[in-house]
Amino acid sequence: MKYFLLSFKAVFIKDVITELRARQVLPTMIVLGVLIVWILRTAAEAVSGGALIVGPVSLWLGVLFAGLLAQERSFAAEQEQNCICGLLLAPVDEGTIYLSKLLVNIVMLCIFELILVPVVIAAFRLNVSGRWLALVGFLLLGNVAISSVGTLFSAIVQLTRTRGSLLSVLVLVILMPMMIPATFALLAIFNSIGDELAGTGALAYVGSIRAAAGYLVVFDAVFVVVCWLLFSFAIKE
Amino acid sequence: MRKLLLIVTFILTLASIWIALTLGAVEGPTANPESPVRNIVYIHVPGSICALFCFVVLLTGSVGYLVTSRPKWDILAAASAEAGTIFAAISNVTGSVFSRAEWNIWWTPSPRLISAAILLLLYIVYLILRSSLAASPRRKARICAVFGIVAFIDVPMVIISARFIPDIHRPDFSFSSSWQSAAFVLSVAAMMLLGAVMISFKADILRIKNRLDEQSFS
Repeated sequence: MKYFLLSFKAVFIKDVITELRARQVLPTMIVLGVLIVWILRTAAEAVSGGALIVGPVSLWLGVLFAGLLAQERSFAAEQEQNCICGLLLAPVDEGTIYLSKLLVNIVMLCIFELILVPVVIAAFRLNVSGRWLALVGFLLLGNVAISSVGTLFSAIVQLTRTRGSLLSVLVLVILMPMMIPATFALLAIFNSIGDELAGTGALAYVGSIRAAAGYLVVFDAVFVVVCWLLFSFAIKE
Repeated sequence: MRKLLLIVTFILTLASIWIALTLGAVEGPTANPESPVRNIVYIHVPGSICALFCFVVLLTGSVGYLVTSRPKWDILAAASAEAGTIFAAISNVTGSVFSRAEWNIWWTPSPRLISAAILLLLYIVYLILRSSLAASPRRKARICAVFGIVAFIDVPMVIISARFIPDIHRPDFSFSSSWQSAAFVLSVAAMMLLGAVMISFKADILRIKNRLDEQSFS
């Protein structure tokens, strides 16, 4: 356990220091996120009350696409100078490498959200009405889901001819089921819809904000475990 | 053996089509009871069942490859992905045609339709990944197996949404005559056999391709 923590910390710190020195990913993520919000804010003008619906959706879109940028870089940087060989030769379990990369990606998304959430709230004039804790919780659950799948596939796409574009397709198709309860939760938190929704649509099937939380927790748990178990198969030469 | 399988599939398909169009015709969409779209159930439902069946084969091939590292499992997974793509496309397209006739819309974001679309997309993305990997055959097979397993986790959601969640999708109906039931069972059997034949043919093609690749390298 002590060895796991030591190696986990070493890989985590290496990645954080690399990002702090190079400052490659975070500025790009922020610019992309703000651009997405700006474009959707303009589109929301078309319908009265559109900002209430488009606002929370733009937050998820920003997080999703900015997350993809962060995840793509997490293994592209290792591949460029063949650092991945050094990492694999080091006496560190592949699962530990996956978990540290996962944590780095989650931290990057959290820092990104610290900037994007106020921007979205201000741009769309959204009202959280004292549900900050729920907002933070759902964003964290979303970050774990996006990063768990993204970190695994980031290692995979380095061997493909299309890299970044393929990563977005691979990750988004797996995350599609997760995005429905995640969207429901943010719409409910920003009072765009009620806490409970009846009907036959995809959002109505989520039903309530509590059910959305349960769905996301299960999704996170299943995908973190499965991706962690499969990572060594994906990375091995 | 495969010739016999092909003949049986052909006979079953003809029999199911004949019964479906004559003795086992089911009630049509509420807007137009005489519409020829009514018998789409004999293609749509078996298509969906076969798409799910192919995903189970894909999972078996993927797990088999990761456990044994034998190319035959990877070939099975690749072949089932191609067959599954066709069946998932049949399911989505026929469902859309029926939806247009019954509700006057081609598509709506209901849980079942979304999950059926996800199933088709998963197959397509698997094939895209397969064709764009620039790695050794062993590594390529291992990576595709990893994606196959991760993608399969989404499949239970498809089944759950089709069976248990209230939806605009036509509720499970019971057939009113034994001819309808017979036509349905025959169409499912014919399509399953067709799937097995398609997987078998594709697996042969991939096996030959692998052998040629090995010969050109050596």
